[in-house]
Amino acid sequence: MSRINDVGGMEGFPLAGQELNEPPFHADWEAHVFAMNAALIQRGCYNLDEFRDAIERMPPQEYLAASYYERWFHAITALLVDKGVLTVQEVSGD
Amino acid sequence: MSDHGGPAHGLAARVRHVEALLEQRGLVDATELDRALAAFLARASPANGARVVARAWLDEGFRARLLADANAALPELGLSMGGGIQEQRLKVVANTETTHNVVVCTLCSCYPIALLGPSPTWYKSESYRSRVVRDPRGVLLEFGCTLSPDVEISVWDATAESRYMVLPRRPAGTLGHSEAELAALVTRNGLIGVAAV
Amino acid sequence: MTERFRPGDRVLTSRADPVHHTRLPRYARGAAGTVVELEGRYPLPDDRSRALPAEPQPVYAVQFPAVELFGADDHQVTLALWESYLRPLSEEATRGE
Repeated sequence: MSRINDVGGMEGFPLAGQELNEPPFHADWEAHVFAMNAALIQRGCYNLDEFRDAIERMPPQEYLAASYYERWFHAITALLVDKGVLTVQEVSGD
Repeated sequence: MSDHGGPAHGLAARVRHVEALLEQRGLVDATELDRALAAFLARASPANGARVVARAWLDEGFRARLLADANAALPELGLSMGGGIQEQRLKVVANTETTHNVVVCTLCSCYPIALLGPSPTWYKSESYRSRVVRDPRGVLLEFGCTLSPDVEISVWDATAESRYMVLPRRPAGTLGHSEAELAALVTRNGLIGVAAV
Repeated sequence: MTERFRPGDRVLTSRADPVHHTRLPRYARGAAGTVVELEGRYPLPDDRSRALPAEPQPVYAVQFPAVELFGADDHQVTLALWESYLRPLSEEATRGE
């Protein structure tokens, strides 16, 4: 069953404007999410395909509402919990 | 789940929290993360793509080698697609008088980041990813790129391990330009294919 | 493993609707295209994403006319597709087009 990420040919998405002189990352946390993902994959905690799969399995409404790196962070934390590296409580900061 | 109304603050704290936990477990090293990030941003940028294009415009041999095997040709300019999780295959696609190329990743947002740095936000958007395979001429028009009706558009969807970059056509009136002057003409949008150059 | 397809071969993509991660987009299912080139050999993401063993298999750049994918328009779309997503387009299937 196709996931919400499989949007080729779909209609209705609002136009995305171009940002002039867009920086590589819009916030430190984005850059850290990017770097953390690379480090965890390089370490073998999960692979890139598992990572993409975790993003795709976000509930559609959450996927569409989330920014690009929010999706990454969701996937990273979901995988860390799935793999038993962190618990749900630890991830949520309880 | 995304927060709205103070989203960045809440999320930034959550990211720092998870990073701290991972550091405690010895799974990441904050100093190493910062170093790797700085190294990546220093080496990868659209300027690299512009240099590759300018060299290809000036040197027919390089152009041929680039189109045949971009990964093997990049080191001639001291560039590479390595340094990331794994070295990815770069495929350079040349615009001609009759063909204009444009690149997308409909499924996520794959892009030659090892060479060019992170992709622009619009490239990652559902809007671009959904529309450019279906109506590339319309999308290009919105980017201010009008193509003659005789020019066929070829869309490349990065669904596997290759990453694609467009080799734009050399603009008219640039004879005698230096390599640096030529490189200065090349935009990131041209390398993606939503601009002529 | 030797590759099944060569540049110029006509291929048909799978019509399957997988319940797992895949890199064959829905818009390109059940479509007839032409192999452009072999891109390399890589393990199938459908398996790698589920932690199943995955030996590298050929991945091809395959070109489709827009009219084949969407029933309209004159552009081309090229996708990079794992061999598992493809089968030969038989002569019988093309006869009568």
